[in-house]
Amino acid sequence: MVARQREAEKASSAATFYAAVALLSLVGLADSIYLTIEHVTGQSVRCTIVAGCSEVLSSPYAAVRGMPLALIGAGAYFTVFSLATLAAFGYRLAGKLLVLVVGVMFLTTLWLLYLQAFVIHHFCQFCLLSAAVTVTLTVIVAMGRGAVARP
Amino acid sequence: MNRFLPFLLIIAVLAVALGAGWYLKRKAVAPIAALPSANVSASPAAKPSGSIDPGAEPPHALGPPDAPVTLEEFGDFECPPCGLLHPELKMIEREYGSRVRIIFREFPLVPTHSHALAAAHAAEAAGLQGKFWEMHDMLYENQKAWHDAFDVRSIFEGYATRIGLDLERFKRDSTSEIVELRIFLDGKRGHSLDVKGTPTVFLNGREVPFESLAIDKLRALISAALPGTRP
Repeated sequence: MVARQREAEKASSAATFYAAVALLSLVGLADSIYLTIEHVTGQSVRCTIVAGCSEVLSSPYAAVRGMPLALIGAGAYFTVFSLATLAAFGYRLAGKLLVLVVGVMFLTTLWLLYLQAFVIHHFCQFCLLSAAVTVTLTVIVAMGRGAVARP
Repeated sequence: MNRFLPFLLIIAVLAVALGAGWYLKRKAVAPIAALPSANVSASPAAKPSGSIDPGAEPPHALGPPDAPVTLEEFGDFECPPCGLLHPELKMIEREYGSRVRIIFREFPLVPTHSHALAAAHAAEAAGLQGKFWEMHDMLYENQKAWHDAFDVRSIFEGYATRIGLDLERFKRDSTSEIVELRIFLDGKRGHSLDVKGTPTVFLNGREVPFESLAIDKLRALISAALPGTRP
């Protein structure tokens, strides 16, 4: 009886944890969609009163083989949302893949922050929002996974 | 139901994401609706409600005031896309001659570009000696040479000498109230027209979408606006 109650509590806390990850990934997804549209419509290459994004998005680092980096980011956030949603409903493999994807996103974010600070010499506030979301996701996943996995 | 719920959520988010992307893209590339084919004054058409500031008078303009097409550029000499637009507008000027009037308005993006204001001052000071366009061309054509410089004053003085300005007067005028006022008035006009970045170009008072500033698209818009031609 006690074991069943403990099991239910564990499932409930795991669902809450994955729901938080899914909701946060939606913020990153919205931000990436906005940046993608800025990139593909050419608005990013116009000089604007708000500094930074035009310099960052018009740099050669804003696309990988012609694919806007923001679009790849949108794909990554959608993947995180999908995996977190599946994990919240008990798909264990999704939980493991989530850790992997967030880890790759965190490393990519560090690289992009380095490029903005030391190569492009400009920070784009929407890119910084995405970086903040990814770092927060990493912290939540790192802390939460331990709690979820604990017996 | 619980079995399908996560997949339904994923599909719903994908649909919303694609829909939002499609809507934002459509909004961003909205074409100039019903471009006038005849002469429309540069000022009133763009923003029917609210007052539009006239800008510095007289404006820096190439081409006759009664030209059927007026292109009004809000530019920042340090902005790279403005530098890229410069040769295109020169081409338009050559190709269309007296049928197109090109107006330049100062819109230095401070503090985004640290030397933009100094460049605007230099151009306006040259304008007081009747050589605005010479300095305008010099600044755009040598943009890469000065935009990373620490002190641009000596560079601009060099340009002033090269285009044959009275250097002492240029130095005095660069910091004069009249120059400051002209830049301020152009900026005020830009703000009243809701200009948010550079280059922003108005064709007969209607803003040309940024992606239509490519030379071929610009030619098509100009030709469509000339009397006797239809798009």
